[in-house]
Amino acid sequence: MKINKTALRQGLCRCHDCGKLARISTKCILCTRCGSQLHTRLPHSFQRTLALLLSGVALYIPANLFPIMTVTQLGVGEPHTIFGGIVALIHSDMLPIAMLVLVASILVPLLKLLGLSLLLLCVHYRWQVNAKRWTQMYRIISFVGRWSMLDIFMISILVSLVNLGGVAQIIAGSAATAFGAVVVLTMFAAKSFDPRLIWDVQND
Amino acid sequence: MKTSNYLACPECDLLLRGGSPVVGEKEHCPRCHCLLHRPRANSITRTLALSLTGLFLLFPANLLPIVGIKVLGNSNDGTLLSGAVTLFNEGMWGVAILVFLSSILFPLLSIVLSLLISGHLYFNHKNHRLSLWLRTLQHIEEWAMLEVYLLGIIVACVKLSSMAELKFGLGLAAFILLLLVSVTLASNFDSTLFWQRIEQLNTDENK
Repeated sequence: MKINKTALRQGLCRCHDCGKLARISTKCILCTRCGSQLHTRLPHSFQRTLALLLSGVALYIPANLFPIMTVTQLGVGEPHTIFGGIVALIHSDMLPIAMLVLVASILVPLLKLLGLSLLLLCVHYRWQVNAKRWTQMYRIISFVGRWSMLDIFMISILVSLVNLGGVAQIIAGSAATAFGAVVVLTMFAAKSFDPRLIWDVQND
Repeated sequence: MKTSNYLACPECDLLLRGGSPVVGEKEHCPRCHCLLHRPRANSITRTLALSLTGLFLLFPANLLPIVGIKVLGNSNDGTLLSGAVTLFNEGMWGVAILVFLSSILFPLLSIVLSLLISGHLYFNHKNHRLSLWLRTLQHIEEWAMLEVYLLGIIVACVKLSSMAELKFGLGLAAFILLLLVSVTLASNFDSTLFWQRIEQLNTDENK
């Protein structure tokens, strides 16, 4: 079954959308099966991932510093940051849920930003690594990204429910926009990173 | 060398002679262990049945109240859409659009596209848009986040349980059913088979 050669070395490229193999030529740029554009690797994968990653890093700071929501109860308003919300959950004896939010809204974005930076460094400096492990890391990064949306969904439910005028009201804060942007940017960054680049830089 | 006998791993580009795994087997890339193909039994029929079920469930899940609260005699119900609408009215349109897309529009689109594609393939109807639909479906799948939304509902309810009385609506039941249907739909969807069938239909058309 194993030929031990990459498609690229055999002059073939795989369609990103439908997986059909095609010969690399200057003329044929559209996949004959699904009509999408053919590329041997995702176009400008490194630069795109880097740009999206840097924007994500920049927005991660306001996302954690500014209040993500303001809870007003009987006229007394109290702004919460992402971390403050977790502390509040711990104080009300809801440790498992607090852990869940900690993982989804702080650890996952942070590890994603770090992981993607490592992947880019690996490709750029042609690090000789255990490529199988690094591909696994890439897979984990692209799988967990969506779970960070937890906080955004939670806020959207809270603002629509707790909308009782003077009695109780929850208003979303500016960090929500920043945090949503971090999630979207890192998801796009993971999507535009091509794991085949890790294998390309290994000398075997 | 015929290219159709070979396949390339999407994650490490290793060129492989295409195996033909049977239902219940998984084909992995020998170099990076990427899952290449996992055939499912009656994938097209199941996709058709599940997407039809999903289409019916979309209505109660989107229109009926999911959770309601009661604080000091004031009560308020929330539907799937009301979160996005409230955020939009507060001027948080970026977050509102993100919530609307990932909890309403993309789940809806992916069910409608699955229904269209599987329906055409089941009845052997030719349509030149089939490949466009399947490509769109593959790109939006990642952005339909019903399961994350359910987790969001759970965390929100836990946060509210100390300050308000909660009541769960029929919409929540429909939403959980819709979520189960979409997860089953995704796991029974055999994209390799779908692409092969689309190619067959298209080549028949050219003759």
